[in-house]
Amino acid sequence: MNRTIIFITLISSFMSSAFAGGSSDISEKLKDSIVYLQISYYAYEQYQPWRNKELTESSGVGCAVGANKVITTAYNVANAAFIRAKKTGINEYISAKIEIIDYESNLALIELDSNSLGKPLVPLVFSENYKKGAGVNFYWLSAGGQIYNGRGFLDRAAVDVSTISFSRMLTFIAAGISDSTSFGHLYCLDNKPLGIACWSNENKESGIIPSKVINRFLADVKGGKYKGAGMTGFDTSSLLEPATRKYLKMPDNLQNGVYISAVHTIGTGSDVLKVGDVLLSIDGFDIDPYGKFKHPQFDVLSFDFLITNKTAGDKITFNVWRNGRAQKIDTLVKHFDVSQMLVPWYDYDRQPEYIIVGGCILQKLTKTYLAARGHDWQGKVEPHIYDYLLNHAFEPNEQRKQIVVLSYVLPANINLGYHNLGQLVVDSINGMKINSIKDVPAALSLKPESKFHVIEFEMEQPAIVLDRSQLDSAGISIAQNYGIDKIYNINK
Amino acid sequence: MKKAAIILLLLFSAAVFSAQSDMSKSVVMIQVVKQPFDYTTPWKQTSVSQGIGSGFIIAGNKIITNAHNVSDSKYIIVKKENVAKKYPATVEFVGHDCDLALLKVIDKSFFDDTEALTLGTLPEIHSKVSTYGFPMGGTHISVTEGIVSRIQTDIYVHSGADGHLVIQTDAAINPGNSGGPVILDGNVVGVAFQGMSQAENIGYMIPTTVINHFLLDVNDGKYDGFGSIGVSLFSGLHNDSYKDYLKLEPNVQGVVVTSVLLNSSAEKVLQRGDCITQIDNYDVDNDGMIMIYGKKYHLSEVVETKQIGQTVNLTFWRNGKKQTEQLVVQLNRPVFEPAHLYDNQPPYVCFAGFTFVAASRNFLETWGRDWLDSIPHTLRYLLNDSQQLNKDRGLKEYVVLSEILPDQINQYADEYNNKPLENINGADVRSLNDVRKAFENKNCDFYVLKFMNTEKPLLLDARQAHKQNDIILKKYNVKSWTFPEEQL
Repeated sequence: MNRTIIFITLISSFMSSAFAGGSSDISEKLKDSIVYLQISYYAYEQYQPWRNKELTESSGVGCAVGANKVITTAYNVANAAFIRAKKTGINEYISAKIEIIDYESNLALIELDSNSLGKPLVPLVFSENYKKGAGVNFYWLSAGGQIYNGRGFLDRAAVDVSTISFSRMLTFIAAGISDSTSFGHLYCLDNKPLGIACWSNENKESGIIPSKVINRFLADVKGGKYKGAGMTGFDTSSLLEPATRKYLKMPDNLQNGVYISAVHTIGTGSDVLKVGDVLLSIDGFDIDPYGKFKHPQFDVLSFDFLITNKTAGDKITFNVWRNGRAQKIDTLVKHFDVSQMLVPWYDYDRQPEYIIVGGCILQKLTKTYLAARGHDWQGKVEPHIYDYLLNHAFEPNEQRKQIVVLSYVLPANINLGYHNLGQLVVDSINGMKINSIKDVPAALSLKPESKFHVIEFEMEQPAIVLDRSQLDSAGISIAQNYGIDKIYNINK
Repeated sequence: MKKAAIILLLLFSAAVFSAQSDMSKSVVMIQVVKQPFDYTTPWKQTSVSQGIGSGFIIAGNKIITNAHNVSDSKYIIVKKENVAKKYPATVEFVGHDCDLALLKVIDKSFFDDTEALTLGTLPEIHSKVSTYGFPMGGTHISVTEGIVSRIQTDIYVHSGADGHLVIQTDAAINPGNSGGPVILDGNVVGVAFQGMSQAENIGYMIPTTVINHFLLDVNDGKYDGFGSIGVSLFSGLHNDSYKDYLKLEPNVQGVVVTSVLLNSSAEKVLQRGDCITQIDNYDVDNDGMIMIYGKKYHLSEVVETKQIGQTVNLTFWRNGKKQTEQLVVQLNRPVFEPAHLYDNQPPYVCFAGFTFVAASRNFLETWGRDWLDSIPHTLRYLLNDSQQLNKDRGLKEYVVLSEILPDQINQYADEYNNKPLENINGADVRSLNDVRKAFENKNCDFYVLKFMNTEKPLLLDARQAHKQNDIILKKYNVKSWTFPEEQL
């Protein structure tokens, strides 16, 4: 009985703190600063890459950052075919288009058509305030033109992978939220914009892309050519084991430092760090053995923040323990496009790259392709292919820029005998090593005197030998038979 | 409800039929107490279970049953239908790859008033067969009748990795039937051994081709097992261009060698790109099938007739030339053994709380029912592709850190759990014995353990590790730091 009373008391005190921030309503003021977005999506099928998926629709919120510009999450508009906006007081849709999309920061800048917009929007100023435990309000505009709001409290700041990328960015987490918020809803602290919502879960928690990330994005946009946020070019592993520290000849009074367990070929630090280095500090912030540092405003954060909070081209200083002594290394923050990865992590807004040769679907390997295998895909994908994603995705090099796989074979006379082959990694075509999907057409033009095209695969798999003289006519009949309007899509 | 009633009725009539049969002198009940080993903590055994299976008497006072009835057994008794006395028995020979075992009864009086069954040949499809045994724990012999539906090569579930001929029947085969004879015209044509859970009325038996191979194998006092020719084959010659590319004449039929297993008997004879057209005078077709036993079966059926050490004659084409060579049939197993292991305590090394075992299917299955989808990537990769991934002739087994017995010396090492070990102080780990040897060497300051796909090494202060090792073994009741205790 006693216990129940305590529990109730706790809840009531919790509720009062959660509501603290909602003392005055600013909905009215926001009418000219937030818009309703309606997005139509037309993504591509991964296993029939010449086809679009079913058309789907969703809605979101855009927050004004200029007279006719709004931001929303990149997730909201990934694979968008058409975007339209609505403002309070105007019934007609305003056409909109993406100006900049940054999947790492999970932000997109959308430009609204000024002619149909009417009165310009009132830009919001994102305040870099942070008060752990404080009440926060969130706002969104409904399709009917009404501003709705909800409440929660600011639980913590963390460095976390965004919903759609691998980059570890600063994220605020609101708890005890009164409504689910994942469509760019505007979060405010003390009536000032704090960030935009990027996810929510069953535990009534919501992720917020904070002002710091938004302001970096906006400053980057202002600078003309968008450079992008810094991306980490290495992996770390905790360094607590005393024997390991002793082995690395680290003095007893040196308590900080995290072990660098992998250095990629792309990303910040990839040019200067070495496996086996101990990362002691970044820009003067001591890194602890778990890879965390103490931020003056947000308390303990992962070191990634010190990279992803910067813009490509900014200076960065690593202090590492190498060969038994500490040394300072200055370098520049790097950003890379996901398409530079050996196995791109995502493939939004692009048709998968493929080429159909005699019914054999040769396709560029991406994580999106593998994930299309459905629930628990990681355990179902052929381990040799999965290994490229898991252990080599960030290690493209001159010899290997992409992985090309035989997805499967569209049965036809020309490929009789090969119908069961699929999920194999292409090694070479007509003797030429396949370094990227672009190499496939070049390899097919080799050895014109030969009767065959020979496609060799890794792991001692059978080769595919195709009759060259039949290839063109077979290609036409396969395309007709299977309803394929485009037998290849290779980006320039 | 109606359906259930019909099923019960059928089972009942089958039981009535049993009273008319006179198999009680040949078919025996086998009661077994089992206790398998724990493959994560290999000095432990798992809980004890009891089961009932069937078996039958053959010439020479021997009892044939399934290996899965008696694997990991601690105690076996056999019993005749109308005799109360229970007779202790032991496993004389067991073939886990073919799911067969021969039992020996210590008290020879067991065989008084019994009749040995004789083995027949492969039955015709459609022939009517009767299955005898003790399904679902009954005390009387049950008989069910059915027809032979088909004969094909299939995986033997007990091993999980070996395929041999199986006879499919629609006679009900239920738990407890296992090991019982399937009779046609008074002769045994199969040993009932597995069913299919998703399908009704599909039961499988081991044909006499496999039984005879097993019986012949054990004649020399030990069981060697079924061998192979150690190659991967591809049936791609349906494509004329492929045939042309391999410089084969248009009328040639056969299958193409795509890879040759490292250390196998095939290495001296075959290579990638060879096209096998004949095996022991059987013509191989483009699907890799031969005409044998009056039907088309995979060419491995010829290999199935051979004992380890015997040869097959292979005719194959290489670079446009036809050649014939003899190939010795050997076990030819990949370095990551994909079959289940039974009966023997798994070897291990347990040092400073780090328990190392050889990677095995049994270890992987400790992940539970969906183990294949949930095991760590590196282990799945090795299991699936060890044949292609391993280029080291000296590699005997992959060694994995299976468990850490917590102690101050290893408290930060969890990240290495379930990872395969590559080397210690730079010396390759090619077997558990190498791990033992590395830790026996006390002449170093550190043990530097490098795991696969993990750049950060695991460091152990050698002096402290040896000191803590004794304490840990005592604390966790580990009798010896290695098994076997003596170096092999």
